[in-house]
Amino acid sequence: MSIEAKNITKRFGSFTALNDVSLEIRSGELVALLGPSGSGKTTLLRIIAGLEALDGGAVLFDDEDATERSPRDRRVGFVFQHYALFRHMTVFENVAFGLKVKPRLSRPSKAEIGNKVHALLKLVQLDWLANQYPAQLSGGQRQRVALARALAVEPKVLLLDEPFGALDAKVRQELRRWLRRLHDEIRVTSVFVTHDQEEALEVADRVVVMNGGRIEQIGSPEEIYHHPANPFVIQFLGKVNLFHGRVHGGRARIGPVEVEMPEHAAVQDTPAVGYVRPHEIEIERTTPDRRAVRALISDIHPVGPVVRLELIRQDDGERIDVELARERYHEMKFEKGEEVFIRPRNLRIFLKDNPP
Amino acid sequence: MSKSLKRSYRTKHPTTEPSFVRRTLITTALLFLGLFLFAPLAAVFAEALRKGLSAYLAALVEPDALAAIKLTLLAAGIAVPLNLVFGVAAAWAIAKFEFVGKNILMTLIDLPFAVSPVIAGLIYVLLFGLQGWLGPWLAAHDIRLVFAVPGIVLATIFVTFPFVARELIPLMQAQGTEEEEAARVLGANGWQTFLHVTLPNIKWGLLYGVILCNARAMGEFGAVSVVSGHVRGVTNTLPLHVEILYNEYNFVAAFAVASLLALLALVTLAAKGFVHWESRQYDAGRARAEGVGETA
Repeated sequence: MSIEAKNITKRFGSFTALNDVSLEIRSGELVALLGPSGSGKTTLLRIIAGLEALDGGAVLFDDEDATERSPRDRRVGFVFQHYALFRHMTVFENVAFGLKVKPRLSRPSKAEIGNKVHALLKLVQLDWLANQYPAQLSGGQRQRVALARALAVEPKVLLLDEPFGALDAKVRQELRRWLRRLHDEIRVTSVFVTHDQEEALEVADRVVVMNGGRIEQIGSPEEIYHHPANPFVIQFLGKVNLFHGRVHGGRARIGPVEVEMPEHAAVQDTPAVGYVRPHEIEIERTTPDRRAVRALISDIHPVGPVVRLELIRQDDGERIDVELARERYHEMKFEKGEEVFIRPRNLRIFLKDNPP
Repeated sequence: MSKSLKRSYRTKHPTTEPSFVRRTLITTALLFLGLFLFAPLAAVFAEALRKGLSAYLAALVEPDALAAIKLTLLAAGIAVPLNLVFGVAAAWAIAKFEFVGKNILMTLIDLPFAVSPVIAGLIYVLLFGLQGWLGPWLAAHDIRLVFAVPGIVLATIFVTFPFVARELIPLMQAQGTEEEEAARVLGANGWQTFLHVTLPNIKWGLLYGVILCNARAMGEFGAVSVVSGHVRGVTNTLPLHVEILYNEYNFVAAFAVASLLALLALVTLAAKGFVHWESRQYDAGRARAEGVGETA
């Protein structure tokens, strides 16, 4: 089922959680809503589920207006951040709940319910825990029970609120790959909320970056990471260094780098900022370039396969973070306190007052 | 040096007070309890049985006493279920929904705790009594509330109003609304959600509230005394009957009836203890299971 959110506005008192947000989700897609806390991503998810009333706009399921439909009639599966399993019911009863509360006419028989629940528990690989209570399960197991429970009613849409938020790093990684495989298997339209950019980029078909109740960018993980629409998206997707400069007549001069920017041909002498990721900066001991920036290595942190260097620019005193592959670091043998030249390899430039 | 070391080894619990402090505190507490709780309780039974078991039983089966017992059971039998329903509804509304006037509702629920029961009784007399606001209308329709059984039931409902709601509100607030939302999304209607999700989660708190509510309903004196009119065998509840007997210097009978109320208190305490223990077991079991689950 496809979902469309049209000009959705939601206020909590004087706080505007969503400001005229529009979004289309195609049938069978796995979409991530990514943003910092307070960006409105969970509110949008709850509005799609019908758990939150909206102050303006509409929600369409398969091009049909579902704004006034109660959550019972929307045929959505919702997985809560803290699972919200029924604590006094066993795993089996939890998963069976959605089937047991169906109106008598459409309710499956006891045997059918039993078969279905066991099939779902097999799908989430928890068949052996059917008679345990939620409190007896680990976080990852609870999460999978919550998912099986949501799938039991054969939802047309699966909505997941920070599905891996409360899990430790290793389980998180396993579960999100598992979710991706599960989605490839059952192909139900799915939307999940996350504040972890890595999770969004790894799992989703498309990523919706949200901030302050608005959508900043919608695109494939590739597009979002490599062609960020604005400074917010760049900064939210990972560590980034800022180089200040100016744009004048279709050319940008950012520190040592000069770039053609034909799209800004009309711009006259405007301040601009170039954004560079830590792994996109070269460090050299010597350089033919007279304009190269000098910097002092102030700290070195080896972190597994990479080495993170903290540098202080000698001209304006700003901090620069650089990430080197371990091999390169050992080859160059940089030391703390050493003075080097830095050169950004890949700059994304935005005008300061007028982001495109 | 070695002496102080030895000393610190000897006191196994570094945070407890010296033993003489502990003993003094415990003795004070026990003396206080004995003087103000155990002695009166023992006195009630001793006085009641002073003229032997047959006099004791006679005082209980005498018609006026039986009528008082019946009336007390009737008042509690109406007040407790009503306040159970009201308490659950109010707690549900306050804990799970946001609405205008929520604070006013909370304050109103607390009102019977804040107001002296005698005043509560007086309010009913002023409202429904013959000289009261609604008195003439009620009299014209031949309805008697004050100085009759309905007045006693009304007063009992009023004073026991907060018990169930007060017990449930913090519990339901702590549990949040996620489970209910999950049930709704899974297709449960409001009644199914309440019956299968909310109620099982609050059952121990509810039982606790009902026990306290019942104890108060049966033991209430002040409010009931004002609206009762003390008609023997008709509008006397157990506590009022005790007062009348006592004022008539019929001490054995007074204490015999009082012993019933004392027994009720003991049963209430036992039931309360049991529910508390049972719910603790339930929580402890869950906590233990939780610990196992986390390490697994």
